[in-house]
Amino acid sequence: MLLELNNIFKWVQQGGQRVFLLKDINLKVAEGEFISVMGPSGSGKSTLLNVIGMLDGFNEGEYHFMDESVHTLREKHRAELYKQYIGFVFQAYHLIDELTVYENLEMPLLYKKIKGSERKAMVADMLDRFNIVGKKDLFPTQLSGGQQQLVGVARALISKPKLILADEPTGNLNSKQGQDIMELFKQLNNEGVTIIQVTHSEKNAEYGSRIIQLLDGRKV
Amino acid sequence: MFKTYLKAAWRNMLEKKGESILNIGGLAIGMAAALLIGMWVVSELSFNKEFENYDRIAQVMQSQTFGGEISTNTFQPMQLAPVLRDTYGDYFKQVVTGSFTNAMLLTVGKKKVSRTGNFMEPGITEMLSLKMMQGRRDALNDPGSILLSETTANTLFGNADPMGKVVKIGTTMETQVAGIYEDIPENSEFGNLTFIAPWELLKITANFEERVGWGNNWFQTYVQLEDGADFSTVSNLIKDVKYNNIKNGDDPSSIRTKPVIHLHPMEKWHLYSKFENGVNTGGLIERVWLFGIIGVFILLLACINFMNLSTAKSVKRAKEVGIRKTIGSVKGQLITQFLSEALLLVTMAFAISFVLVLLARPFFNELTGKALVIPWSTPLFWVVCVCFVLTTAIISGSYPAFYLSSFEPAKVLKGTFNRGQGASRLRKGLVVFQFSISIVLIIGTITIFSQIEYVKERPVGYDREQLLYVPITTSGLITHFDTLRDELLESSDIAEVAASDVLVTGTFTTNGGFDWKGKDPNMSEQFNTLRATHGYGEMIDWEIKEGRNFSKEFKSDSLAFIVNETAVKYMGLENPVGEYVQWGDIGNFKIIGVIKDMVTQSPYDEVRPMLFTLHYGDFLNFINIKIGNDSNTKDALAHIESVLQKYDPESLFTYTFFDEEYARNFINEERMAKLASFFSLLAILISCLGIFGLSAFVAEQRSKEIGIRKVLGASVLGLWKMLSKDFILLVALSSCIAVPLGYHYMNEWVQEYSYRIAISWWIFAIAILGALVITLLTVSFQAFKAAVINPIKSLRTE
Ligand SMILES: Nc1ncnc2c1ncn2[C@@H]1O[C@H](COP(=O)(O)OP(=O)(O)OP(=O)(O)O)[C@@H](O)[C@H]1O
Ligand SMILES: [Mg+2]
Repeated sequence: MLLELNNIFKWVQQGGQRVFLLKDINLKVAEGEFISVMGPSGSGKSTLLNVIGMLDGFNEGEYHFMDESVHTLREKHRAELYKQYIGFVFQAYHLIDELTVYENLEMPLLYKKIKGSERKAMVADMLDRFNIVGKKDLFPTQLSGGQQQLVGVARALISKPKLILADEPTGNLNSKQGQDIMELFKQLNNEGVTIIQVTHSEKNAEYGSRIIQLLDGRKV
Repeated sequence: MFKTYLKAAWRNMLEKKGESILNIGGLAIGMAAALLIGMWVVSELSFNKEFENYDRIAQVMQSQTFGGEISTNTFQPMQLAPVLRDTYGDYFKQVVTGSFTNAMLLTVGKKKVSRTGNFMEPGITEMLSLKMMQGRRDALNDPGSILLSETTANTLFGNADPMGKVVKIGTTMETQVAGIYEDIPENSEFGNLTFIAPWELLKITANFEERVGWGNNWFQTYVQLEDGADFSTVSNLIKDVKYNNIKNGDDPSSIRTKPVIHLHPMEKWHLYSKFENGVNTGGLIERVWLFGIIGVFILLLACINFMNLSTAKSVKRAKEVGIRKTIGSVKGQLITQFLSEALLLVTMAFAISFVLVLLARPFFNELTGKALVIPWSTPLFWVVCVCFVLTTAIISGSYPAFYLSSFEPAKVLKGTFNRGQGASRLRKGLVVFQFSISIVLIIGTITIFSQIEYVKERPVGYDREQLLYVPITTSGLITHFDTLRDELLESSDIAEVAASDVLVTGTFTTNGGFDWKGKDPNMSEQFNTLRATHGYGEMIDWEIKEGRNFSKEFKSDSLAFIVNETAVKYMGLENPVGEYVQWGDIGNFKIIGVIKDMVTQSPYDEVRPMLFTLHYGDFLNFINIKIGNDSNTKDALAHIESVLQKYDPESLFTYTFFDEEYARNFINEERMAKLASFFSLLAILISCLGIFGLSAFVAEQRSKEIGIRKVLGASVLGLWKMLSKDFILLVALSSCIAVPLGYHYMNEWVQEYSYRIAISWWIFAIAILGALVITLLTVSFQAFKAAVINPIKSLRTE
């Protein structure tokens, strides 16, 4: 089992009242799964993804990630964990505008303190694989949306994560570009990477092997 | 239209309170500093200007050559004024001899007060255009008269009519009040002239006619030129007056000093009082310039903050500019809009700076030793204020206005707007400018303080502890000195008593006319001298290197010198003890001892050759008293007072400890140091406010990037480093600029002192380190704040 959520609750205090963002979520994800999370806007999809990605905490429940109990880990250790095993892909790409494509790709490796020569090889590898060698010296603003998301995915993959979390990765793309990204995910999944994606599109959800529906913070 | 601009500006300001407070606060501090300095500069520049004859009055100066050096001062023989009047009368409206303005005891009935005043010739009242409240300006013609200032009259007589009443000056001179004049403005050379007594009175009482000649430079001479005469012509005419008179007269020995008489116009007294080798080289004006420039710089630093924050913010306002342009606003209107915004902020800052000035004024007055006034009622003041606000608004507002209004709407709205490389580079340049100035100021402050410390630590060569003096104001104390001394010593609290003509902290009396074996005949020698009674040397615990102290056992000691080591070198003597020195027609003196050099003049200067002699009777001006080191000071003082009151019942008992007297040497320098530290603190504060705002802006601008980096695994420490690094680099660059500048200026400054520190590396190290630490603290606050934020917060907003 890659990760396991048991009775996860998350809430915020608003005007003296508890507003639940996640209610009693139970989820087991095995290695190699491709899961799509769906639900209406405001149902808590992003929140769930953030919790899984350890970017956000929760108030009750247990979270096990690869035999570690995330809910008992200290901040620093948790950061180590996700740095090691998790890659993010965002709807808004979130590339750094001041850095070139090459430098954007290189950044996670810098934070993992990977040596220069090895780093070079890994970046070159990624550029090659995603067919963007010719774009490596361009800045993100000089790319189309689809190309930017391609870089976003490449950056998430470069540190060889076990799990990719993607929050509406195709939300800003046209259907052709979206389809390309989905094909790419499918292929990665076949190579053994676990993927959890949030999507609004039935068609994209079909790429996954399992669909989770959320409604008002509850799994249905 | 203007109103809508202001409305928009007002809302903009309210929306970003923190930023506005930073912006306005920084400007207000800068403006307050500039205002304070401005007031000080104006007050220095208007010194003496309230006299009607400001541009016609001069002081007569005398330059003399000693050992190849020309020294210039105001001291004149009393014979000078009559010659000027008689021979050169066509050029002068008034020629006035006076003594020196001093604190003197005034007695009316039982009432005694100490007031500063002077004995002067009658012409002084016309010269200074005294505003008489009672009596006439010519009243001083009567040698038995006295003129009182309004305040002095009030203190002495209260509500009673003072005219015709008797006032005793000192213990002997009786005068009648013949006039009351309005107080002379404090911001002037004569501000402490609170009474004027006739010069004739002093001359007769002190028997000057018999005693003093052309060689006794004991007085001052002021002149007022006739209309049409000019200073340099008249100066040139009279330059040899003294020389010619001593050549024919009674004191040929002082011809060697080649005395030159010249005029120093009132316009220059205050700001250009320094003479170097006979040439008028400046004076306080240098300090006025220095602080004036510092004031301008501080204001500039504050304006820079404003510019930097405005252009930094511009990214956010770019959209507004784009929209405004697409709905038809032309560039000129946008410039007006942004300038009105600047004007609004500057006006608010000015209002606050006014409050700051009012709050800081007492402190600043203490610092400068001035009583600065805010001339609320003069229209000119308000005109200047308005100009000041407009200038500040234009300096700080114009660049942002032009910069912002030049944005191209298409680019801005499409979002392909580049973040303004040019503006960001300029911002960096301005920050470097700010920190260069701040660091130079810090270097200056540290240098000044360490120079003062260094001089304070200078060993003076005698023991000041528990040593005090009492000025001798009546001959009663001198004639009975021996019995007085015995009575003082009756108390075991008193260790020793000796009288002297000058104080060991200021042996400024110089004498010439000496001759000794092997003296270079062309040498125009000059020694500083101190005359004292027996026991003086033992009392101050000077260190005998050779020979012995004065002793009552040797009657011949009345013709003996004790000299200091510098004098031995100056005279070129191999074995000084036992040598003889002829002193004019006073006598042939035997050198009986050599003492280790003592600091008896300015501690900033080299030790000068000194001669000490035994002396009793006339010319002793001070009784020096050493209280035992273990004694109770209070009891000792009580004893001293009771004994002195017995011999001099008329005077007020006043005393001064030599520690205090010595501390006066540092008043000017310490004032300078305090001012410098005050302004460098302001400069660094303003600069820090600037980078505080900038770093906040940078952190905000990069918040998305910070979020992404965090998600990708950046640590808080790493992010903090990334955000602080740029600023640290800027400050490092500033240091590179500031160090040579600071070294250059401070090296020049210390050259003014002969006893001085070498400017060493640690001064720069401290300044740089200080600037770096302060920057780091300022920037870190924002950097850390940005780095610990949960990344999903900053990423969600997209
Ligand atoms: N810190 C918070 N404080 C209060 N409410 C929050 C907070 N975070 C999220 N919410 C609320 O929780 C709910 C779920 O938010 P979430 O972003 O997970 O929705 P979502 O399913 O991703 O929606 P969408 O499809 O629009 O992206 C929303 O109603 C949101 O307003
Ligand atoms: Mg969402």
